[in-house]
Amino acid sequence: MRNDLLYSLILVFTITLFGCGKETTLTTNPVVDNYIYDVNGEIIYQSSLQKNKQKTPAQYISILYANLFQTSIPVDVLGVLGEVRVALGDKQMANELILNGFVHEPNVLIVSNNEMRNNVDEFIDETYLRFFLRAPTAYEKFELKKIIEEDLDLTPELIYQGFALSNEYQFY
Amino acid sequence: MKRRKFIKTAATGIVAPYILPSGRLFAASGTRIANHVVFVLFGGGIRNQESVSQQYLANQGLATEGNIMPNILEGAIPTSNLVFDPWTPAISNPLSKQGTLFKEVRYVSGPTGHYNGTTVAMTGNYTETGINLVTNPEFPTIFEYYRKHSDPAKAAINSWWLSEGLGPFPSLNYSRHPLYGAQYGANYLRPASIIGQAGYEQFGNAETYQPDDVQRILKVKSLLDKNFHKDANDLPGIQNTPEDRERIKNFLLQELEDAVNNNYDVATPTNTYDGLTGDLLNISSAWHVLREFQPELTVINTVNTDICHDLFSLSLDYLHRADFGIGWLWNNIQNHPVLANDTIMICMPEHGRNLEQNTLTDANGFGAYDHTGTDNARRVFTLVVGPPDKVVQDQSLGSPNNPVAESIDAVPTIAKILGFDDQIPAGMLPGRFLNEAFI
Repeated sequence: MRNDLLYSLILVFTITLFGCGKETTLTTNPVVDNYIYDVNGEIIYQSSLQKNKQKTPAQYISILYANLFQTSIPVDVLGVLGEVRVALGDKQMANELILNGFVHEPNVLIVSNNEMRNNVDEFIDETYLRFFLRAPTAYEKFELKKIIEEDLDLTPELIYQGFALSNEYQFY
Repeated sequence: MKRRKFIKTAATGIVAPYILPSGRLFAASGTRIANHVVFVLFGGGIRNQESVSQQYLANQGLATEGNIMPNILEGAIPTSNLVFDPWTPAISNPLSKQGTLFKEVRYVSGPTGHYNGTTVAMTGNYTETGINLVTNPEFPTIFEYYRKHSDPAKAAINSWWLSEGLGPFPSLNYSRHPLYGAQYGANYLRPASIIGQAGYEQFGNAETYQPDDVQRILKVKSLLDKNFHKDANDLPGIQNTPEDRERIKNFLLQELEDAVNNNYDVATPTNTYDGLTGDLLNISSAWHVLREFQPELTVINTVNTDICHDLFSLSLDYLHRADFGIGWLWNNIQNHPVLANDTIMICMPEHGRNLEQNTLTDANGFGAYDHTGTDNARRVFTLVVGPPDKVVQDQSLGSPNNPVAESIDAVPTIAKILGFDDQIPAGMLPGRFLNEAFI
């Protein structure tokens, strides 16, 4: 299912991006910089402007799971999450609850606060790549680094949630 | 001007055009009858024969009649040929004595399906779109009228729709009408999915964050959103304010914890899960929502009696239990400091069931009933319950040959109760305000 999803996404990207005639470089094979972040090989964006299509609920949940656990979501888990998402009218709230449940799972892969603060630049690069599949702009990096360094209680767990709940994360 | 203060002013007779600080002049919205409405789609398809007519087993070849809805209706329960487990009523005075019972109401046109019937009741318009189950309704729901036309405007947290099941029912919290839609929709909750196994599996590890951490998450999100060209308004569905969203999340996680720790108040005689049905869980959760948020508009449904397609006896048992749930809910409302004496409850089945039995019989040899658009499947009742200074008490109207209301009348009645009826554009609602029920 995950492979089907990704192949579909790649096809959509290809059609969309070549269709509008924009010069774009696509990386479909894992490279050193993004290898650890992908599960089955994903596209690296040159810019957030390339993201115009909203993820379906199933895509959002599947990709979120993959980003946090570095493995494909089990089909039964996806089914249950689909049910609880339908059972709540406010989908933003549903996403927040699902995300909250994920980040407190014992096998979730979250960088420690110490690791982040030992190399904030690297953490930002990796987090952008992990969640947004692109590198941060210099200004984005400056802004996020600033709030990380100003607030010692801002942990990777909270930052990951900010990324996963952001508007950009809803789109591909 | 605060809503309540304005209402008090209006009640003293000063109903004049109101000038906003912006200088805009418009007629103030109408005086309210009450500040809270609970609309119960008391359904699953219920025949008037076994409900308001209290015929019990009279249509099954036995002479035994009686009232199996002692919380809603006045009348002695059957004492022989019991096919249900009689529960002591949750209230001492039946709800029909505390309001007006329209004994004969018609669901005039459209398929007599659960989704379609519920849609008609919640939109105030007959519709034929029941076959296409995955879309939001064509006409605006009562939630959208309420949120768009109330003055001041109401946040989503003030309106709730809770359904027993999923299927197409989640789509009834807002319509696809171009002038209304999700921005005026209600919060939707299907408790069995959140309080039950599915919710526990996924949210069992979830934790509530301290406000400081919530702000940190929002600060990161805000920073990221600032640099992206599309915003969250593009997301489908209703949206609460960030503050309300946190309140609701905390509420849901507390509900889950209470359920796991057996601290979850439920609408059963023993306040245990013994005898709990899907209907009663939905009613229980609706009470929790009412207790927590005191919404002004709450709509819930019950559907378990639909087992009547093949198990007539069990459908009577479920009807009896759902009746208990309604009494339990009203009793709780009357013991709440904000809701008591300021809430009007309307109960109405979404449709009835056929006069003729189908070919199936249950273990007692009783025939079952479908709902296939027949005249009998279009017979329902409507109960309006409220404080004696607002709702006419102990009044019964209509008879089998004299229907006195329609399914589409509930929406304009709610609009009148909550004081926004005169703001709804002409022609949107073909039904009428059930004025006979009100002082």
